[in-house]
Amino acid sequence: MQVMLNAIVSASVILMVGVGFALVFRTARFFHFAHGIFFTIGAYLAFLFKAILGLPLALSALLAAGGAACLGALVELAVYRPLRTKRASPLVLLLASLGVYVVLQNAVSLAFGDDTKSIRSGTVSEGFEVLGARITPIQATTVCASVVLVGVLVCLMRGTRFGKAMRAVADDPELARISGIASDRVLLLTVAAASALAGVAGVLVALDVDMTPTMGMNALMLSVVAVVVGGGRTITGVMLGAILLGFAQHLAAWTLGARWQEATALLVLLAFLLVKPHGFLGATAAKASV
Amino acid sequence: MEYVLHILVLIGIYVVLSVSLNLVAGYTGLISIAHAAFYGVGAYVAALMALNWHVPFWLCLLCAIALTGVLGAVVGIPSLRIRDDYFVVATFAVQVIAVSIMNNWTDLTGGPMGLPGIPQPEILGWRISSHVDYLVLVGLLGALALWVSRRLVQSPFGRALKTIREDEVLAQAVGKNVAAFKVLVFVVSAGMAAVAGVVYAYYISFIDPTSFTVMESIFIISIVIIGGAGSLWGPVVGAVVLVTLPELLRFMGLPSGVAANLRQILYGGALVAFMMWRPQGLLGKCAFERKSAKA
Repeated sequence: MQVMLNAIVSASVILMVGVGFALVFRTARFFHFAHGIFFTIGAYLAFLFKAILGLPLALSALLAAGGAACLGALVELAVYRPLRTKRASPLVLLLASLGVYVVLQNAVSLAFGDDTKSIRSGTVSEGFEVLGARITPIQATTVCASVVLVGVLVCLMRGTRFGKAMRAVADDPELARISGIASDRVLLLTVAAASALAGVAGVLVALDVDMTPTMGMNALMLSVVAVVVGGGRTITGVMLGAILLGFAQHLAAWTLGARWQEATALLVLLAFLLVKPHGFLGATAAKASV
Repeated sequence: MEYVLHILVLIGIYVVLSVSLNLVAGYTGLISIAHAAFYGVGAYVAALMALNWHVPFWLCLLCAIALTGVLGAVVGIPSLRIRDDYFVVATFAVQVIAVSIMNNWTDLTGGPMGLPGIPQPEILGWRISSHVDYLVLVGLLGALALWVSRRLVQSPFGRALKTIREDEVLAQAVGKNVAAFKVLVFVVSAGMAAVAGVVYAYYISFIDPTSFTVMESIFIISIVIIGGAGSLWGPVVGAVVLVTLPELLRFMGLPSGVAANLRQILYGGALVAFMMWRPQGLLGKCAFERKSAKA
């Protein structure tokens, strides 16, 4: 039971980061490796506002999400948009995003130091019992936040003009532009929203298990796995991927020991890439024929 | 003087690494973020054999090349089914798994504590101990790597690789066994990276997983791309520039922690800048444009 609960908590974190990654992947069509850094930046901004400036936690978390969104937008404006106007291939964008990740992670290290920072307050609460398993208030909040935020996102995507525009750009950027959708603005907002989500996830994880400058790499990795396993195109896919991955990880931790969690996650990824690449191949072929 | 020699040896090691990555990334068009894994596996195999069984240097070297070559084949196989950015993700997975094993299989690899005390190598009675000796060794190996790379690229095999990069379907249509070529080039490239790893392990005489992480892989990619993917001398230029430039930071009197971060910011920034303004690198020809992307 505890294993299942832990798996659900992990899955909600992966979902929050993964949905953002999938959104960018779907609308902008490249692997946004720098996405993971906004997870880290969210956590560290919360640290800045709460521990250094002494603001209340809720406000700090909001500001952190906003900050992550702004930075994400900045990266899009400064790097991705110019590249896109030059019609750079997805591979070039991917390499550039690796560079962005390296720069930002080291900027965080420079600003805050490499040691573990904490924004946990007071004593560790024992949590409450749900069906014979323990869950801390933070973990419960994480699950709720994930469900609510992703829910809101799905509604936005389905119900609003902006969501429609986003899907149009995802389907065919040229056609979207011809029919009067400001593709660039849509992409900007997509990256900003994705970064904000990652930032929130970062704050919540930091509240649960503290932060280090490299925490984003791990989150990024897991969300990549979830997105690829889920097929990469739909939010439902990411959800399935996140849940599958959460369970695989915690089952591995339970049977093999926690140190093999990471390797298990990536083995799942490799297995999927090898055994079931068909969906992905189909997706790439469709992209190339546009 | 010692310091200058040390930098030169490091440049040599990175020349071997980037020449090897250039074979896959530059000539065949398969970007791999698993190169630090090959580098690390080579280093670990040699170190373990030297420490546990006191095997002579050349035998360690051969075994490291062979084993890493096998790993290279394993990594090359996914490239038959998935392409471009998906392939990058697959190599990323291999890279992280490799580091995870180095970190967690403590009985074998010493885990985060690493493997200290790797003995000095001896080749045909030549005991390699000073910086000068290592520089000669690395120089020879670097030249060998360049020679192999040049021979390969100019051979029919190399032409087939470039065809695969430009148009895979065409390569297949003219009867090239694309699958075999891809796996083979990965084996060669991984074996070459292993050579760099072996030399590194003996040279530093201590290895731990932090030298072989994703960041290291990204660094090697940066060298190849900034130098110029798909050109013979590009990786050499890239290695000289990217290893030397950050050393200048040392003379600005920064604390070493800050310098390490700045160094990474520098090469990350350089990677972004080159992607934006000169994706083909300093000397390069291939700019990773999407194949047959015309509407």
